[in-house]
Amino acid sequence: MNKIIELKHITKSFDGEQPVLKDINLNIYDNEFLTLLGPSGCGKTTLLRLIGGFESPDEGEVVFLGERINDVPPHKRSVNTVFQKYALFPHLNVFENVAFPLREKKVPKEEIEDRVHEMLSLVALKGFEKRNVTRLSGGQQQRVAIARALIAHPRVLLLDEPLGALDLKLRKDMQVELKKIQQQTGITFIFVTHDQEEALSMSDTVVVMSEGRIHQIGTPVDIYNEPVNAFVADFIGESNILDGVMLEDFKVRFSGQTFVCLDKGFSLNEPVDVVVRPEDVDIVPVEKGQLTGVVTSVTFMGVHYEIIVDVGGFKWMIQTTDFVDVGETIGIELEPDAIHIMKKSEFSDLYGDYSSFSNELDELSEAEMEDEDE
Amino acid sequence: MTKKLTRKEQRGFRADQLALGPYSLWAVIFILVPLVFVAYYAFTDNNFNFTLDNIMRFFTSTSQVLQDDGSSKEVYTYLVIFWRSLKLAVISTLICLVLAYPLAYIMARAEAKVQKTFMTIIMIPMWMNFLIRTYAWMTILQDTGILNNFLGALHIPLVHIIGTEGAVVIGMVYDYFPYMVLPLYSIMAKMDVKLLEAARDLGCSSAGVLRRVVWPLSLPGVINGITMVLIPSISTFYISQKLGDGKFFLIGDAIESQYVANNLHFAAAMAFILMVVLLACMGAMQILTNRHTEGGK
Repeated sequence: MNKIIELKHITKSFDGEQPVLKDINLNIYDNEFLTLLGPSGCGKTTLLRLIGGFESPDEGEVVFLGERINDVPPHKRSVNTVFQKYALFPHLNVFENVAFPLREKKVPKEEIEDRVHEMLSLVALKGFEKRNVTRLSGGQQQRVAIARALIAHPRVLLLDEPLGALDLKLRKDMQVELKKIQQQTGITFIFVTHDQEEALSMSDTVVVMSEGRIHQIGTPVDIYNEPVNAFVADFIGESNILDGVMLEDFKVRFSGQTFVCLDKGFSLNEPVDVVVRPEDVDIVPVEKGQLTGVVTSVTFMGVHYEIIVDVGGFKWMIQTTDFVDVGETIGIELEPDAIHIMKKSEFSDLYGDYSSFSNELDELSEAEMEDEDE
Repeated sequence: MTKKLTRKEQRGFRADQLALGPYSLWAVIFILVPLVFVAYYAFTDNNFNFTLDNIMRFFTSTSQVLQDDGSSKEVYTYLVIFWRSLKLAVISTLICLVLAYPLAYIMARAEAKVQKTFMTIIMIPMWMNFLIRTYAWMTILQDTGILNNFLGALHIPLVHIIGTEGAVVIGMVYDYFPYMVLPLYSIMAKMDVKLLEAARDLGCSSAGVLRRVVWPLSLPGVINGITMVLIPSISTFYISQKLGDGKFFLIGDAIESQYVANNLHFAAAMAFILMVVLLACMGAMQILTNRHTEGGK
């Protein structure tokens, strides 16, 4: 695969404050759907703006097809952007919005007509040419923005949380559609989001960021199954993260028990973080359990129940399709492949215990997150 | 809407109308009634009988003017005055626009503190009386005024400005400049920066962004600014008397002098014609901009 963009040792700060990006290194390949994923304020949008040409790095290099482009202005880059709130031109109709880049390039009239119609059919907006963009629905505006950004055949398309303003159903549809458009056009997509589900379902490569740093780069499956540290494990999906000790290869001890696992390469008796995904925990009768605990809460989630189990003071989250009652004592069994071992990191004790967990709280903090993005 | 209004909505309506009451009354007494009076006077003679004489007089009355070579020429008195007023007003308005547009753009993009400072600087002259400002310009522009003293001290040839059309234009530009800046600034401050970024992203150079996005989006502000400068400058009467040495009789001066001479009906007729012409201009401009600022063409 061809490298299309290389970011080398990028550092960026605004007005002499704390750097928003710290020594970022990232390779982006041709025809790739890459997602920058992280909580708000992690620097992902700034990184996108560096690639788009709206900011230039304090240190480091932005390399595009082997050429340093740190100081190339946005209009001279073969990169287009779909903005967070679309930024459609309110004084132009749908056709003219989409034709905007071509008019700037003085493309002949007939060609403009053909290409705009082709683009509008790609985004399923045929027949909307004469419409006023301010009277379109959010989803339709979104499509116009995508068509407008793709019509000049950029090498790379940047998408800055483009689905954030859409409702859940529409967002799901657009996810599928964006993926389809990316495959049809063969253009590299760089997608920014704080929604981990979106990142996992759409991307070829996910880049997990927080506080101006990249934690992990990998395929969605890698990122989910093999998180490198407690932050990634917690941010991507739900995780029970426990303190453990690696006794020897394939043998880990936590919660007072020794378990067989699939991890190796740690030193003897090295303290580690143990990750167990809630859906990988098997509930068994008490006498058969490797661990036992008391159910403290049960939430019906549709597909499964989400239960919180107190095991010797540590609260586990378990997702199960079997109903258990609050107050019941249950046994827990962990298969070797349910256990993932991570090295200790600065995030080790910050995440992974569900003792203060409530769905309501989670939603509240998510809502706050979105507000900050405004 | 065929839906029947609920009690509460009805009450809401009544409250709204009640709140509008004082303003409606104000508008009727101080706007509508005077306009009706102007029209009434314009179409009546001294005995308040209907007549078109006053209107016709504006278009037909002639007078002799002395030309440079000594011969005299017959011209349509009021049409000449009207044309001169229009010319000076249009020139002043355009100068205001050219000066104010970049200023408004820069201000709107500057830091909040800089914006406030600029705004204050622009507003300060408006706190001073209009007559005093005009007199100040007289002292600056006179042949022996501040400007020429300054030029003389630098051994630059002196200039004769007072009593020329240029002096009148300077006065009008100075007086009405804030009325151009404010609407332009307010529309540019509201403009979404993302749109400018989008234009750059889609291939526009700085000039392209200005031409294809900033200008069309600022058109409503431009129209407001033009309206707010053109109308007072076309009907101004004092600036020309002072800075033009009374040589450039403008339509405002004509209306004033007829009014002072107690020729109310003819003064009203001129005011009425001016109003109709301005309304027509504004209407035409509104239609043109609507076509540009609404999405569909």
